[in-house]
Amino acid sequence: MRKHKRLGSYNNWGYLFVLPFSVIFLIFSVYPVLRTLHLSFTDLKVMGDAHFIGFNNYIRVIQDKFFWKALLNTVRIWGVNIVLQLGLAFLLMMVFSDVKYKMKGLGFFRIVYYLPNLIAATSVAFLFQTLLDWRYGSFNIIISNIARFFGTSYNPVDWIGNGHVVPYVIAVIQSWMWFGNSFIMLMAGVQGIPKDYFEAAAIDGAGRWTVFFKITLPLLRPIMMYVAITSLIGGLQMFDLPFLMIQPSSSAYGNVQTVMMYLYRFGFTAGSINTGYASAVAYMLFLIILAVSLIQLYLFRDKDKTNTKKGGRK
Amino acid sequence: MRTYKNNVIHDKIMKCILYLAIGLLAVVSFFPFYAMIINATRSGVEISRAFSLIPSSHLVENYVQLIKFVNIPRGILNSILVSVPATLFTAYFSALAAYGLAFYKFKTNKIVFAAILIFMMIPGQLSLIGFYQLCTKLHLVNSYLPLILPAIASPGTVFFLRQYALSAVPETLIEAARLDGANELYTFHRIIIPILSPGIATMGIMTFIGNWNSYLLPMIILNKTEKFTLPVMVSTLRSATDLQQNQGATYLAVAISVIPIMLVFTFFSRYIISSISAGAVKE
Amino acid sequence: MKRKKLLAGILAGTMALGLVACGSSDSADSGSAAQADGAAAEDGSAASSGDALVIWTLAKDLETFGEYYEQQTGNDVEVVVYAPEDYPTKVQTAIMGGETEPDIIVGEPQMLGDMYDNGFFANLDDLGAQDYADQIVDYVWQVGQDKEGVQRAVSYQITPAGIYYRRDIAQEVFGTDDPETIGAKFADYDTIRETAQTLKDAGYRIFASDSEINYFSGDSAWVVDGALNVDQGRLDYMDLVVDLYKNDLTAYCNQWSTPWYQAMAGEVPILTADIQNYADDSVNVWDAEAFAEQTADLEKTSVFAFGLPSWGVLTMRDNVGDLSGKWGVCAGPSYGFGGGTFIGISSLSKRQEQAWDFIKFVCFNEETADWWIETSEGDTVSLISALEKHAEDANDVYGGQTLYSFWLDQAKGIDYSKVTQYDKVIGDAWGAAIGSIKTGEMNKEDAISNFYDTVQSTYPDLIINR
Repeated sequence: MRKHKRLGSYNNWGYLFVLPFSVIFLIFSVYPVLRTLHLSFTDLKVMGDAHFIGFNNYIRVIQDKFFWKALLNTVRIWGVNIVLQLGLAFLLMMVFSDVKYKMKGLGFFRIVYYLPNLIAATSVAFLFQTLLDWRYGSFNIIISNIARFFGTSYNPVDWIGNGHVVPYVIAVIQSWMWFGNSFIMLMAGVQGIPKDYFEAAAIDGAGRWTVFFKITLPLLRPIMMYVAITSLIGGLQMFDLPFLMIQPSSSAYGNVQTVMMYLYRFGFTAGSINTGYASAVAYMLFLIILAVSLIQLYLFRDKDKTNTKKGGRK
Repeated sequence: MRTYKNNVIHDKIMKCILYLAIGLLAVVSFFPFYAMIINATRSGVEISRAFSLIPSSHLVENYVQLIKFVNIPRGILNSILVSVPATLFTAYFSALAAYGLAFYKFKTNKIVFAAILIFMMIPGQLSLIGFYQLCTKLHLVNSYLPLILPAIASPGTVFFLRQYALSAVPETLIEAARLDGANELYTFHRIIIPILSPGIATMGIMTFIGNWNSYLLPMIILNKTEKFTLPVMVSTLRSATDLQQNQGATYLAVAISVIPIMLVFTFFSRYIISSISAGAVKE
Repeated sequence: MKRKKLLAGILAGTMALGLVACGSSDSADSGSAAQADGAAAEDGSAASSGDALVIWTLAKDLETFGEYYEQQTGNDVEVVVYAPEDYPTKVQTAIMGGETEPDIIVGEPQMLGDMYDNGFFANLDDLGAQDYADQIVDYVWQVGQDKEGVQRAVSYQITPAGIYYRRDIAQEVFGTDDPETIGAKFADYDTIRETAQTLKDAGYRIFASDSEINYFSGDSAWVVDGALNVDQGRLDYMDLVVDLYKNDLTAYCNQWSTPWYQAMAGEVPILTADIQNYADDSVNVWDAEAFAEQTADLEKTSVFAFGLPSWGVLTMRDNVGDLSGKWGVCAGPSYGFGGGTFIGISSLSKRQEQAWDFIKFVCFNEETADWWIETSEGDTVSLISALEKHAEDANDVYGGQTLYSFWLDQAKGIDYSKVTQYDKVIGDAWGAAIGSIKTGEMNKEDAISNFYDTVQSTYPDLIINR
């Protein structure tokens, strides 16, 4: 009978549970990546013979100031973006999980907040290019009319042409596109918290803030770790929006080019394709993401463990 | 010290303010969606000339142009054939793996989890050629299998559900099931899946949307027009000499392709909410 | 218990759909026709037996050509269309993965260099291409050749650039709307500066954007003998664009933006009083009083000209609205071209003879060219005999001008040796440099030095003499 078996034998079920995942993962994710790893040590352009050139591609990445500029650009856009996106999602999560107000309409708002994410990035880019045009865009015209109404004047900002402004504009649009996503994740986490925790707290007469800080927040920590890590990974691979909104022939491009855009130039832009170099850039980006993620994981690590225990103790 | 009545009034005002704020945010979020639907009714020339929030009269024209270019029903069917199995695979097998990773202490547990995190960090475009060569070797080019099978291994979803399980599944429950003599798979299907369902449904929505909108991989793998999924089909509208003419049709196509997403969203959403009221699964 | 049922349902559904999906993919070749049912019949190309010629294209045009080819010859063709911006990725991945399916692949001029260098295209000379050398406009024939002069691709169209101008404004300001005379107003950069000033004094703007002469810039190639080559013409072009901007001579639209299209149909609001740049915020074009003062009765303005390749004929036609018939086309300061779809045979194709037959049908057949001119409503073909035949065709949108003879003349002047595969990246970097000078973000020296850095970063092997 199974119940007489030692705990260890239960744990062997774990192999079975991760088996389908692992097999497919090895075939379709690990194998293609490992197959292309060697390319980063060659001088392969598009096709033909690839010669082994050691770490030359990596040395070139490290020495290219445009790579580091791209990394800086990415971090700047992502930094602003992540604060806005997660901040907004977190606030909304607080509002909708508040035990006192019991806000209604979560199902509706969840969909509506997710809408910006459903529209293809091309359409979003086109829409904002039109709205934010320096001299012809509705946005500047509205602000200037408001300013005129109050008797002052407004010196219009070239939202998408000025290299000092456009990274922040993109960060805001990016946040607006993705806050709904983060919100849904956080809400799912809140809804996953076993209801009896809240019931017990209510019987104890705990206030809303006590409930939030003593129950919701600690139990949500694993999900928050997920949201933080995936935002980092996604953020450092940012591509679509800046790529579609700013042309390479714009003077603002230098301040907007992200690492993935830099990679795209060598991976897929006709005339400058250099597969070996593009691979090296990709692995450099991976190493950077890995390093930052490890720091994040370390910060979350202890809490993660207490949490498991807490779940078990109950 | 506030009186009880004051408190109630105070709460009501606060609630009003909050509703106003989240309502405003909803308007801002709805805006581009509205603009897209409006553009679906405007001609290409109108769209490129000016931005507008007032519908125009070219809906039928755009539709005619659209079906002249692509076979929309076929595209929807193809997208369903890919997205639905892929989503179900992801949901089921990710939950399975996530539960295994969260609650079983076997030797390779840490390695698998680390591999998941690491492979999430590698830019996907990198392995495109390797993936294609693999598909050529396995004779899977131009088939839906390379778009569906990899869904069994979705690192992001496993990661999420593992984290979710950690906060949602009390270990005592598993022990209780074992004491009752339940088979581990039985426990997973009967007890764990219901508890994880809000998380599974949430990731189900995300996965479905991801698959439904997936463009690069199907574009690379599929070589026959009649096998194209919807986004690949719609993208061919940009191949016209007269690009502008197709702009309205493109917006219309995008608007049409959002409908199934909304349906799935509503379906899964109901499921997420119901789980909260059914919080007492354990009894 | 409801849950259990749902779960069972989901699992059953998964398997069923999984099977359907597997089934449909396994029987890819034999079953696709049956499965595609009604859809396939409409497509025409879908009922692909094993011998249909497979064409991967980024231009919908070729699908139309394919249908016509089937109809005329009875041969089966299967055309698969991909979005232009992703087409290089598609072809590159497929050919590198050893895909033998496509017989015909295509490319736009900026992609061709890579495609030649990496052996994507079969050798057309082996199939007898040189027999047709004289029938096709020269520059197109040259674009289709690799570095060794081997023919790899051909195009059915030419895309020389021209200046599209308003005949009514020309009459008013210059007293004539004759293309020759107006062309002289665009003869070189200095003349363009004068023309721009004359037009501004008359209350108009010469161009909507400052990118309109981009197609005509540069006297020599960007790269000569492995070294970056910035000739005087490039520097003059830079100065001209900066002047046009700083002296308030354009309508400040961005090319392809909403107001840019608007300007084709007539007046656009002129929102500028004096040049504004990021470094100097002294002038406020939105300040009502200062604005009124400096623009006097000029609240709106009309744009005189656009610079576009021959396919612009169709773009303009769709956007000019009531101004139809009031436009004309004249030569720019030099000869240039932009775009064009070039057709070649995949080096991995197993049906090269069949594929060559299709190319001959599309590019070298006068009847096809006639049909295409009519079907496309005014595309400019590359077959010389067809262009000569239609030389006297008058186009009403352009005041009855005979455009085919005009484009043929323009195409004859194009010096293809100026084109290199570096053009896209270098041209973009040059554009960015000009942009940062005109807005005051950088001075000329810094901008050019930054341009050199960008080029060096992308092409470390290029020799750059600063």
